[in-house]
Amino acid sequence: MAKSQRHLLLNLAGILLVFLVLLLFERHGSLYQVRILNNMAIFITLAVSYNLVNGICGLLHLGPNAFITIGAYTSALLTMTANEKMMNFIIEPLIWPLSVVHAPFVLSLLAGGLLASLFAFLISFPVLRVRGDYLAIVTLGFGEVVRVLCNAFQSVTNGPLGLKGLSPYTNLWWTWGVAIFTIAVTTKLVNSSYGRAMKAIREDETAARAMGIDPFKHLLLAFLVSAFFSGVAGGLLAHLITTISPTLFTFFFTFNLLIIIVVGGLGSTTGAVLGAALFAWGGEALRVVESPIDLGFLRIPGIPGMRMVIFSIILMGVIIFARRGMMGRSEFSWDALWARLHRPAR
Amino acid sequence: MRRTSFIALIAVMFLVAGALSPAVAADTIKIGLYLPMTGAVAAYGQMEWDGIQIANAMMPEVLGKKIELVLVDTKSDKIEAANAVSRLIEKEKVVGILGEAISGNSMAGNPISEAAKVPTVSPTATNPLVNQGKNYAFRACFIDPFQGQVAAQFARDKLKAGSAAVIIDIAQDYCVGLANFFVKEFVKLGGKVVSTTYIQTGDQDFSAQLSAVQATKPDIIYAPNYYTEDALMAKQARDLGINVPILTGDGAQADALIEVGGKAVENMYFTGHFHKDAASTERSKEYIKRFKEQKGKEADAFGALGADAYFLLVESIKAAGTTDGTKVRDALAAVKDFQGVSGVITMGESGNPVKSMVINKVENGKFAFVTVINP
Repeated sequence: MAKSQRHLLLNLAGILLVFLVLLLFERHGSLYQVRILNNMAIFITLAVSYNLVNGICGLLHLGPNAFITIGAYTSALLTMTANEKMMNFIIEPLIWPLSVVHAPFVLSLLAGGLLASLFAFLISFPVLRVRGDYLAIVTLGFGEVVRVLCNAFQSVTNGPLGLKGLSPYTNLWWTWGVAIFTIAVTTKLVNSSYGRAMKAIREDETAARAMGIDPFKHLLLAFLVSAFFSGVAGGLLAHLITTISPTLFTFFFTFNLLIIIVVGGLGSTTGAVLGAALFAWGGEALRVVESPIDLGFLRIPGIPGMRMVIFSIILMGVIIFARRGMMGRSEFSWDALWARLHRPAR
Repeated sequence: MRRTSFIALIAVMFLVAGALSPAVAADTIKIGLYLPMTGAVAAYGQMEWDGIQIANAMMPEVLGKKIELVLVDTKSDKIEAANAVSRLIEKEKVVGILGEAISGNSMAGNPISEAAKVPTVSPTATNPLVNQGKNYAFRACFIDPFQGQVAAQFARDKLKAGSAAVIIDIAQDYCVGLANFFVKEFVKLGGKVVSTTYIQTGDQDFSAQLSAVQATKPDIIYAPNYYTEDALMAKQARDLGINVPILTGDGAQADALIEVGGKAVENMYFTGHFHKDAASTERSKEYIKRFKEQKGKEADAFGALGADAYFLLVESIKAAGTTDGTKVRDALAAVKDFQGVSGVITMGESGNPVKSMVINKVENGKFAFVTVINP
């Protein structure tokens, strides 16, 4: 069997395995476990798409919260019925076309992603003119601008009151479907000539330019794809927690994503997946350290915030012992797994 | 293989954390708390946790069983708040929930407890949207429309104000809500709003807004913002020579206001939930005494409302005679003339209490009690 064919089969088997696990949880898991799995998939989508710009292209982009906000608001405003909107907008009514439009969930997600991409396209002209720290500052600025606009445009976003009562459309199939699709598209892109060009730009932009690569075109592509999936994930997130407000999408959201991809390994999609899964699951698993622990002879009172201390220690551990994150720039591959399994025991 | 061993180390740490499940005492009634103990509004969560602990000491048992409090931190974040409620219901199997401290997070938690039919009492989520359309969601505080209305009545009747300048922190749903309801009622009562200006949480310089206010010569300034902004704003207003009374909401009533504002915040008026000198019930007297003894400081409004949320839930479990969610919910909805810490509470429509409001002011560097306004 040809190698690529074998890989395809293995990939499909992997997806089938994920599908079976999800089915198991949907049938027999508690809602709490399902919620964590949903969070995990959304964070995987966000981390993988964020990693495309930060890790693969090497741009220190600090504004994914802008794309997520746009995706979340767009999709929320589209799925809410006219009646729900009226109940939400108690201070200033929603402006006309938005107050009556209504779309099914899948269209609203697409619209969220497309609008986020459109915004990414518009800001890419100023953003991609600069590099390094300056790019970080410009994108950080746009992230804040979007949040402030959400606060200010009461007749569109309901301002700081936020939106509530969204229908909980998000389920395991949506979140994991989108996550797997995102991973597939990103991997295809990274392994294509476009992806190699992006990596070349990351390593040495001048050299890449000398080889005939147009940096703007390639970075823009990464930016648009990343914004699209961030927007879709924002829509999924909105319909998972069923309420959104500008305070959800502060810089800290971006900061969490940055931690995820740094711990996972900047430039590695596998690392982004692992980092996101660890973040979403670990945050809940570590709640134990915040609850009172009775060791029989010693009773330790719960200290809120201990989780964050442990997260910080892990982060410091990564910085000291595995400077390039859990995966470095390596990716998961079936061949490597095969080789490892068949290596003679030492 | 340094990296592999490091990954293994992290995995082991998580497994150990998972194995260390907290010891569970048998035969207790579990009440879940989801509060912002860390993050942007950690101060509120901590104050409420203090109050709930005192309340728990005052009433440690119900239906002959010991009450066990399960506290879960929300990091002041919506995603975490939703996780927390889910965890409390599914993993900890609590019979009722107290929280969250702020409205945005309560809105993330309430749909989950509603679906599971677990009654929830929030101490301080004042946004009217929080309980809208919910059967199992209650709160111990009054809602923003009521506070805004009372502020307007107080401004018209007691302060004899004909015109008001409103300064709103548009980054906070709480401030926007209050200001809006104040304006509606103030205009209805024949007052005139001569200027409306906007600030943002974190602003340091308010000279542009204050110059606009000064030009219109209002009788009062209504600035329903949080204490940091209100303290700085009051200082700059007095420096500019604006000496009209400033009226604000309960969010400004924190010791830090006086520390930062100093003389400038003298005579600032507050509409609020609680003042220890306004204590009218036996329960509040006992609470204030215990709070002072155990925490070494004066009782504050957040703690008092936390305690009230606890008492409301526990008394309703007692009245229902069971921990069945639906029956406790019915008992909560039927609460009438309840002797709480922050006053007498009657549960009104859609889980929003009808209760008296206190007006406080800063006098000689302390919060002094002015009057009580009954609904």
